[in-house]
Amino acid sequence: MNNIIIESMAFTLPLFIIAIGGIFCEGSGVINLALEGLLGMGAFFGGLAVAILTSTFVDSQSALVYISLFAAMAGGAFFAMLFALIVLKFQANQVISGVVINMLAVSLTAFLTNQLNVSFFGQSSNKFVLFIFPRVTVPFISKVPILGAFFTDVYVFEFIIIAVALFMAYILYKTPFGMRLRACGDNPQAVAAAGQNVTHIRFIAILISGAMAGLGGICFAYSISTNFSPSIFVGYGFLAIAAYIFGNWKISNTFLACLIFGFARSIGYFFVQQLSLPSSYSDLVLTFPYVLTLLLLLFFSKTNKAPQALGEIYDKGKR
Amino acid sequence: MLNKKNIYKRSFASFCGPGKHQLLRISFFCLFLSLVTGAILLLLLGKNPFVAYTSLLQGSGILPKLRYPGRKSQLTDFFNLLNYTVPMIFASLSVAVALKCGLFNICVSGIMVLSGFMATVLVGYSDITSIVAKILVLLIGVGVGALVGALIGWLKYRFNMNEVVVAIMLNYIISYVVSFFINTQLADPVTRQSVEINQNARLTLVDVEMFGLRINITTVFVLALIVVFLIKFLLDKTRFGFELKAVGVNKNASRYCGIKVGKTLVKTMIISGALAGLAGVTYYLGSYASIQPRVVPQLGFDAIAVALLGNMNPIGCLFASGLIMIFESGTAYLSSRLGVLREIAALIISILLLFSASSGYFKILGNKFKLELGENGGRNE
Repeated sequence: MNNIIIESMAFTLPLFIIAIGGIFCEGSGVINLALEGLLGMGAFFGGLAVAILTSTFVDSQSALVYISLFAAMAGGAFFAMLFALIVLKFQANQVISGVVINMLAVSLTAFLTNQLNVSFFGQSSNKFVLFIFPRVTVPFISKVPILGAFFTDVYVFEFIIIAVALFMAYILYKTPFGMRLRACGDNPQAVAAAGQNVTHIRFIAILISGAMAGLGGICFAYSISTNFSPSIFVGYGFLAIAAYIFGNWKISNTFLACLIFGFARSIGYFFVQQLSLPSSYSDLVLTFPYVLTLLLLLFFSKTNKAPQALGEIYDKGKR
Repeated sequence: MLNKKNIYKRSFASFCGPGKHQLLRISFFCLFLSLVTGAILLLLLGKNPFVAYTSLLQGSGILPKLRYPGRKSQLTDFFNLLNYTVPMIFASLSVAVALKCGLFNICVSGIMVLSGFMATVLVGYSDITSIVAKILVLLIGVGVGALVGALIGWLKYRFNMNEVVVAIMLNYIISYVVSFFINTQLADPVTRQSVEINQNARLTLVDVEMFGLRINITTVFVLALIVVFLIKFLLDKTRFGFELKAVGVNKNASRYCGIKVGKTLVKTMIISGALAGLAGVTYYLGSYASIQPRVVPQLGFDAIAVALLGNMNPIGCLFASGLIMIFESGTAYLSSRLGVLREIAALIISILLLFSASSGYFKILGNKFKLELGENGGRNE
């Protein structure tokens, strides 16, 4: 039981922070299917930072771990600029651009990881090895039955994610900037009439989504495989998209959706282990979150209210 | 006086500006840009881009290689290229038809796996006579694909579910379920893939002796050409094709004109799915003979690039498929000859995709420059 909770929280929170990035982007009226690519690219930059710093001067391992989180956020935001360029400046179709960015991220990371490993680190490998992220157990509270499991063996990044998530929720719902951002998603012309620059706000929103996706991506890389490899692209970005659609583009509801996904996944694995089924059955378990997503979307798509101007290319002259 | 900036503008406007075949010219411009980017990348790696691009052409049988092993020649390579191009033609048509209707079918890969799997299970291991088996395979492909397409279209129309998210979820579900059945029932202990299908069901005739060479001949290339022209006819000359395009341009206006939008969406997805199903059977029971578990074919995603590059025009898709497959089938020769990583071809393709996605901007820019120059031109000269 404890293991289920520990594992599902380590999955839920990175998914949640990626979904928050998506909420910022879609809240400002830009469909963001690029989350998958952005999280992979963020994880790539995080892994690259670790690889470079360990090979040049051996810093203390614990510092490197946090540096890699920053590198992932910066890398995700940097790559998101490309998305912003195509979507805002070139005014391309947002759905197609998102998929394009995903494909570019997959091929670019595969190429760069191999090439950099060969040319700089003198080995042919398609991954960057990361360290094991430190885990902590909160004293006293962890002794409480069942609830205590939420405070046992927690990755430190989970606390960081919670802090960032609260900060992001504050920005989105309590600051003038957050209000303008949400207004951009519903009626960009009104924002322009109020004297704000719509393209500018959307640009920042896309950057934020890139940074959040990068953070989530490197956390996935730490918690699932402790290395960066192309296996990071297994559709968690799309799961995050489903989470915020199901969560009605609101941060609190999205957290519940992410929790459901996290628990669905680890309960599925738990059953495969408990019933001692052959490993091929894990293929069926892996479909569980996706099937759940489809079913949930089936019931919630009709009643959900997406931002009104979602997917529309901003046109100043439109009334 | 012509300043330098004016020359750039002038040449861009004359190439991408309004006029005959503007979209085609912009596609060529995108291709040119991505080739230049690829060349810069190759230069950074210290390789000669011209040698690289010629070896791509040599590897795919367009230009002769330096030497060939016994019973192989340029013809063998060229027939292999055709063999690999057929699934791409179907897949890109599938994406293009859906895009014309404003839908984004990213489930091509998933449908390919499912239809390939169903055809493999139902016909692949039986001993039916060759011609009947081949026809059955094609029919299963069309049927399975159409069913999945109909499901996506129906969910979109009835429940307002985002077709992209649905399609991506279906991709993963199909891929995992199929890999479960392959791993438990059909796995070949040596290759870890599904057991190879019988030759009578395979759509490609393997190792046919011809002119003293061994050639893989695909039997469905002619079918692919026919389908290209059928889709072209459907889009340009029929009432349904007009409704499809009208819904793609403006849903509300079409509804106002009395077009049943929901019905059109579902019908379009059925056609798109059927084409993807054809791509699946020609891929898994033609170009290859077995299914690799847990792998979604990259071809289904590359098809998006091809459809965009071909401007969603069936004929354009035909040529764009050939072009992209030259990249893919030439990569092996390129990487063995120059010692660059195989991933570079995928990278160049996705850069091409990036430029094709922003081709709308090039069009706007071309029109704008032309207009500006037209105004200035009278004053300057």
